Amino acid sequence: MTELRKAFHEELDGVRASVIRLGAMVTELIPRGTASLLDADIEATARILASDDEVDDLSLDIEDRCYVLLARQQPMASDLRSIMTAIRLTGELERSADLVMNIAKATRRLHGLTIDPKLRGLIARMSDQAQRLFMSAIDAYADANADLGAAIDDMDSRLDDLHAEFIRTIFAVYSTNGNGAGGDLPAAVQLALVGRYYERLGDHAVNVGEHTVFMVTALRAEHLGAERARLRALEQEASGVPPSADDDR
Amino acid sequence: MSSSSPFSIADLSVHYGTRLAVRDVNLDIEPQRITAIIGPSGCGKSTFLRCLNRMNDLVPGASVSGKVLYYGEDMYGPNVDAAAVRHRIGMVFQKPNPFPKSIYDNVAYGPKLHGSRKGLDDVVEEALTRAALWEEVKDKLKSSGLSLSGGQQQRLCIARALAVHPDVLLMDEPCSALDPIATARIEELMIELRQDVTIVIVTHNMQQAARVSDTTAFFTVEVGDEGGRTGTLIELGETKTMFSTPTDERTHNYITGRFG
Repeated sequence: MTELRKAFHEELDGVRASVIRLGAMVTELIPRGTASLLDADIEATARILASDDEVDDLSLDIEDRCYVLLARQQPMASDLRSIMTAIRLTGELERSADLVMNIAKATRRLHGLTIDPKLRGLIARMSDQAQRLFMSAIDAYADANADLGAAIDDMDSRLDDLHAEFIRTIFAVYSTNGNGAGGDLPAAVQLALVGRYYERLGDHAVNVGEHTVFMVTALRAEHLGAERARLRALEQEASGVPPSADDDR
Repeated sequence: MSSSSPFSIADLSVHYGTRLAVRDVNLDIEPQRITAIIGPSGCGKSTFLRCLNRMNDLVPGASVSGKVLYYGEDMYGPNVDAAAVRHRIGMVFQKPNPFPKSIYDNVAYGPKLHGSRKGLDDVVEEALTRAALWEEVKDKLKSSGLSLSGGQQQRLCIARALAVHPDVLLMDEPCSALDPIATARIEELMIELRQDVTIVIVTHNMQQAARVSDTTAFFTVEVGDEGGRTGTLIELGETKTMFSTPTDERTHNYITGRFG
C-alpha cells in the first residue's frame, strides 16, 4: 500500500477510535445524570452540563475530520460507509448527550420535590437499561458486529416497557382521585419528560446499532420497510386502488 | 450468451509469444451501455480491449484463443476481415493521434477509405457535432488537426471514429493526457454517445469509471509460479455495486486503495 493511502486508513482508524470515545463519554454521562436527579445534587448538574462542551468539541472534531477525508480521499465501498457511519453516529451521540443534559437539568426543575419511591426505582432502572443499550451499541460498532447492532432494537423493548410502566405510575401517583401526591401537575409533567428522555436515549442507541449494520453489511433496517412500501405501491397500481395509510392493518 | 449483446466473450486468453498475458476471460458486454475496465498496470485490460477489434493482430507474436462473438458471430472466424471489424468497432487511444492533415480530412478519412464520397460535408459536420467539436472548429476546417488543443484533438479523434458510424467505441485511457476540464467534456460526450453507441473504456482513473460507466469489470494481475504475470477478470457488475459493495475482496482492496 502507498504511504499516502496508509495514512488515510490510519486516519479512518483514528476517526473510529474517536467515535468510540464519544460513545463512551455518553455512556458514562447517563448514570451521572441520573444520580444528579435522584440525589437532587445541583452541583453535580453543573459539572455534567460542563461535560456537554467536551462532547460537542469531540463531535465537531470528528465531523471536520470526516469532511476532510471525503474531500481529499474519495473513499469507496467500506471506507465510504465507515465515514458515513462516523458522521451519523456523531449526530446520534451528540443528541444523546443533550438528552442526558435534559435529565440533569430536571434536577433543578424538580428541586425540593420528594420523588415517589416507586418512580425513583423506575428512573434508576430506565437509566441502567439505557446505559446497557449504549454499551452494547458502542461494542457493536467497535467490533463491527452487525448481529449485535441489529439486536439493540429488540433490547430496547425492555426500556420501552419500563417507560410505559413509569408513565402509568405517574398517573397513579399524581391522580387527584388517588391517595398519592395528587394534583402537582408541573411535577408530573417534568417527571413524564424525564421518562421520555430515557426512552429517546434508547431510540438513539437503536439507531447506533442500525448504522453499524449498514457500515458492516451496506443494508439498512429501513430497507425492509421501504421494500414493503414499494410492493404495496405496485399492488395498488396493479389493482387501481388509490394508496391508503390503513392498507397494512 | 446472447446475440443481442455486442460482445460475448468466452474463455478468452492472449499470449505474447510464449507468455500468457490474459487468461480465461468470460463476459458479455451489453448494448448502449458504458462498460469500464479497471485494474492495476499489467492486468491485461488494454490487451483485452484490443481483442475486441482485433488490434492484437497487429502485434507480432500475439495469439488469441477462446471466443469473441460480435452479435453472435465469431470475430476470429476464418472468413472475417479484420479491417471490416474495425469499421464497426472504433477505437480512441490514450494520446490524441490526429493525422497530420486538416480537421476536415481527419474526419473524412474513414468514410473516404470505405468508399463513400457522397455528402462528405454532411458526414463531417455530423461527426464533429456528435463529438461536441463542431462549434469550435466549423470556421477552420482546413486548419491542421494538430493545431487544436489536446482535449480538442481527442474529440477530433472521437469524431474521426464516429464518422464511419461504428456500433462500438473502444476507448483506451482516453483522458489520461487531458486536463480536468477537457476530461469532463469527454465524459459528457460519452454519456451522450451511449444512446446509440456501445462504449468500452479502459481507465486508470477509478473516479472516472465510477462517474461515467454503467458496468465495471475489474481485472487484476496474478504472478505465476515461475514469475510470469498474467491478467485475469475478477469481477464484473453494475458500477453502483462494484464501487459500494463489491463481492470479491481483491476488488474491494483495489478500489479502496489497499493494494501494492
